[in-house]
Amino acid sequence: MKNILTITRLTINEALARKNFIMFFIISTLVLLVILGVFVSTDIEELIGSIQLKGEKFHGDILSQLSQFFRLIIVMPLYAGGLFISIFSVSSFIPHLLEKGTVDIFLSKPISRPQLILGKYLGGIVVVLINVLYLVVGIWILTGWKFGNWDPAFLSTAFSITFAFSVLYALIIFIGILTQSSVLAMMLSYLIFFVLSPLLVNREKIAVFFGGKVLSVILDGLYYLIPQTSELGTITSRIAGADSIESFTPIYVSFAFIILVLAVSIIIFNKKDY
Amino acid sequence: MNVIEVNDVTKIYNGGIKTPKVTALKNLTLNVSEGTIFGLLGPNGAGKTTLIKILLGITFQTIGTAKILGQDISNYRVKSKVGYLPENHKFPPYLTGEQLLKFTAQLTGTYEKNVNKKIYELLDLVKMTKWGKTKIKKYSKGMMQRLGLAQALVNDPALIFLDEPTDGVDPIGRKEIRDILLDLKSRGKTIFLNSHLLSEVELVSDRVAILNKGQLIQEGTVEELTTAKEVYKITFDDELNNEQVNGFSDYSLKPEGNKSYSVKVSDPEKLNKLIDDIRKKNINIKSIVPLRKSLEDMFISLIKESDKENKKYFNNNG
Repeated sequence: MKNILTITRLTINEALARKNFIMFFIISTLVLLVILGVFVSTDIEELIGSIQLKGEKFHGDILSQLSQFFRLIIVMPLYAGGLFISIFSVSSFIPHLLEKGTVDIFLSKPISRPQLILGKYLGGIVVVLINVLYLVVGIWILTGWKFGNWDPAFLSTAFSITFAFSVLYALIIFIGILTQSSVLAMMLSYLIFFVLSPLLVNREKIAVFFGGKVLSVILDGLYYLIPQTSELGTITSRIAGADSIESFTPIYVSFAFIILVLAVSIIIFNKKDY
Repeated sequence: MNVIEVNDVTKIYNGGIKTPKVTALKNLTLNVSEGTIFGLLGPNGAGKTTLIKILLGITFQTIGTAKILGQDISNYRVKSKVGYLPENHKFPPYLTGEQLLKFTAQLTGTYEKNVNKKIYELLDLVKMTKWGKTKIKKYSKGMMQRLGLAQALVNDPALIFLDEPTDGVDPIGRKEIRDILLDLKSRGKTIFLNSHLLSEVELVSDRVAILNKGQLIQEGTVEELTTAKEVYKITFDDELNNEQVNGFSDYSLKPEGNKSYSVKVSDPEKLNKLIDDIRKKNINIKSIVPLRKSLEDMFISLIKESDKENKKYFNNNG
């Protein structure tokens, strides 16, 4: 465990040394400042009045619903944007580690190969969690201050976003070990996150549209094989909107995906010559 | 006690679609004793770095077994007592020299309360104290090598692998590194030195092995390897004239410069007969010593010989 934590710490240092994560932090700060500016310049009574004038009706606690609305419209772009930047930032971690001259140093130390991979994995997750927590806690404080809604459940969106990242990061590690290409790892993650996962959520409609049982089986297979990041996004939005989670299956499937992909990555890494 | 034991190790790199299989090491057997400096020599592609990588678990042997410090190389924990300076290393550029050494101490499980003291002792040893707080990305090649040597010593290793340690280091720096190696040896450390700078290996190594195309072609002390068998160097008081040089029908004297000549004799009896013959001619002998070649001369002739034999083998066996 000590070795894993040492590698985790180095990975965090590496991440901080890269400008990408500093950019993530700066963007997060700007987002928080913009929200603060909007909140300072907006009078709640006027806002409620103008919404009611448009015919919208509130049921129950108006302020609570408004705060949930704001949190929702902030969290979903954060989910997509945050994951985009995070994938970009970590995709080179493994290819850099495996470069000639670097990998020799690590492998010559009394540290096993699985420990090395797990340390890198944990390091990436910790860095992203810190960044996401900073933004989520910031939004929570601002909306809490403005609307008086201090429901702590919103804070768990930081963990659901980081969990979605950890699924894709496992895949990035696998591709990194297999090909030592950060570009390929990044492209595949984006393909899954932005194209395949959203498409496969609608697999039943696609199967009906194109017809054929074979296609339906293939799409079903793919749905359970690749990370279900769209569903994890839906779960995140439900947490942000203080709704209950309809199904935990995407979390279980994604967790199984992480275990499987990391295990295969470690098996391959254990046998490779450097 | 043998600190390194290599038994019949073969390493074959599987080729790709367009690249053939490469045998990097072939049935290599080698032992290194405790407290010695062992120099491994060989031309590019001889398999020197592959051997070090196998011993450190960076690459895996295809067949054979190996042990370091009495334990099988598959046990990664044994590396807590091993230091390594790789060739063309890339240390994290965002760390300072001091941070790298601390990080290495953590990785090797030797991070203690007084780690700063230890780190500055090492930086002082490699003359890098004033650069300790500078980021590695600002270091020159020579400074990187010095830092690399320091990181290889952080865990006070019993066995140190150095792959081209003086690469990019100026002559003064090389001398300093040589002195460090000799000091380490005097403290009972075993050093496995991989270098193409033959003169350096000659200066510090107790034993030397020569690899060519993955095969061990010679091993021994520097003296054993550089002493030409049955060839002696005779130095006279005066330069000999042609008549004197050609006056020994059974021997051929070859000028070696500065009143010295080399002569090949098949056994000590014949050497004594030659001395008698010389003395009969009233020529004064100043000294007779076995002729020593430089390590470089010996290395080149061995590699040429080995290549010739390999060629012959392939011609005979298709």
